[in-house]
Amino acid sequence: MLFNSYPFIFAFLPLALLGYYVLNHFKLTTQSKIWLILASLYFYTYFGFRNLPILLISILCNFFLAQLIRTEKRIFTKKILFRLSLVLNIGMLCFYKYSGLLLPLGLSFFTLQQIAYLIDTYEELAEKKSFLDYMGFICFFPTLISGPIVHYGQLMPQLASSENKRFQINQLSLGLFLFTIGLVKKVLIAETFGDWARPGFDEATSLDLLAAWKTSFSYTFQLYFDFSGYSDMAIGLGAMFNIKLPQNFNSPFKSKSVIEFWTRWHMTLSQFITTYIFTPIVRFMPKITFRNTMIATFLAMFIAGVWHGAGWTYVIYGSLHGLALVVNHLWKKRKKKLPSFLAWLLTFNFVNIAFVIFRAKDLAAAVKVFMGMMGLTGVVIPKVGIKSVGLLKSYGFSMGTYLYPKDYAFLLFLIGSFVVAFKFKNTLELEKGFIAKTNIAFYCGIAFVFCLFGMNRITEFIYFQF
Amino acid sequence: MSVEQTLETLTKIIQDVLELPGLTLTMETSAADVDEWDSMTHIQIIASIEAHYKIRFALGELQSLKNVGDMIQLIQKKLTK
Repeated sequence: MLFNSYPFIFAFLPLALLGYYVLNHFKLTTQSKIWLILASLYFYTYFGFRNLPILLISILCNFFLAQLIRTEKRIFTKKILFRLSLVLNIGMLCFYKYSGLLLPLGLSFFTLQQIAYLIDTYEELAEKKSFLDYMGFICFFPTLISGPIVHYGQLMPQLASSENKRFQINQLSLGLFLFTIGLVKKVLIAETFGDWARPGFDEATSLDLLAAWKTSFSYTFQLYFDFSGYSDMAIGLGAMFNIKLPQNFNSPFKSKSVIEFWTRWHMTLSQFITTYIFTPIVRFMPKITFRNTMIATFLAMFIAGVWHGAGWTYVIYGSLHGLALVVNHLWKKRKKKLPSFLAWLLTFNFVNIAFVIFRAKDLAAAVKVFMGMMGLTGVVIPKVGIKSVGLLKSYGFSMGTYLYPKDYAFLLFLIGSFVVAFKFKNTLELEKGFIAKTNIAFYCGIAFVFCLFGMNRITEFIYFQF
Repeated sequence: MSVEQTLETLTKIIQDVLELPGLTLTMETSAADVDEWDSMTHIQIIASIEAHYKIRFALGELQSLKNVGDMIQLIQKKLTK
């Protein structure tokens, strides 16, 4: 099911909440857990039953493997069981990602959450949990398909707490507020940018200078508003169930370095990678030297890249960011700071350019956009003020129809997005200072209605494919 | 070992790793407050703490460290074990 669809908003969500709180009101705790699991499975199978067996098998196998690891006394056998469990999980992920079969929805996300659980069980951190609680944690529909990637240590105690099972009107208001923000980001902003990014990437055979930059900026903002909008909705849904989910974005485009960018963009993935990939690689090395940590940094980003998918574009995307982090650390060692604005400009442009590779369906498409961005496939000048391009014509310049109404709309959205990304409080800050007030409800209501009209055409979220 | 003592030792370790002799830490200081404190120096800080106290953190324990206060709490928990 999609968060941005009428059946979800008007039927599924109200029923799921109602059933959950009514059962809890009558102290039917076990029944309420089962209700939430069944609701989550229904949510999951809305896209087709094909994926369900994989989800269930993954949960069952991991739960029992964790039990075996926990109770095994012999150190050697314990180690073998642990390694086997990792191989199974990573193997399944790789099989579906790289065999060309259709990737089961959410597999990348629920596999990571379960790997964290297995590692912590092996290191004797994770306490024994009932199967029902474990399943409730993995299936929890707000985070099931695209994150935020939540650590069992964050989610399970909250799902178990009896305090959280009481309906709280403040939490519902907060949830609706965050959900509406996410809906606006997705339906009104991301989709619009998507319509500008798509033709440039997927249809055009070559792009002139301005069209190429328009295409590239459009995708950068589409991805940000799509994915952060999705995350806001998920966090809002969590709040409606009295569950505090971790934030996934913290104004990433304000970053003044690539290092900073990764502490603000897809934060729950960064945290997972730092804790469960980067740290073990560093520890595996004989000594912690600058060179070794740089190798580990590059490898971790490389893995983060290919986690997204099999294509060369993801290999390059991960490697580029890995290299950028290494360069950033080398520069930092010199203790010479770039002027703020220059640092921001470099970071934003690097991020924007790397997203071209991330989005392109193959390398040829990426090259096409890059050629355009460098002005190598022609420059079309807007027909304002100038009558003809004269001599420049022989250099590939021509007159075009730029700045017709649609392009004004693009400029408006672009400037608007920069203002939103820089001047507005982000969801993290809004969540912290939230107090339910009539005027907030009023504006949310208006925004919500606008979104409903914009939802006549329902599209998936970008991160569903990963 | 008191919280103050641990804070003092931890401050020394972090000053050394970050090469910031004048850095003062409170229980609320987090990596986000200090520019030099990033994922790379963080792992060096963790390794130095492990070497100093002869303890070892599990990966999942590192996940929940949000600020200096959390670190001190975890160190003390490990030492009393």
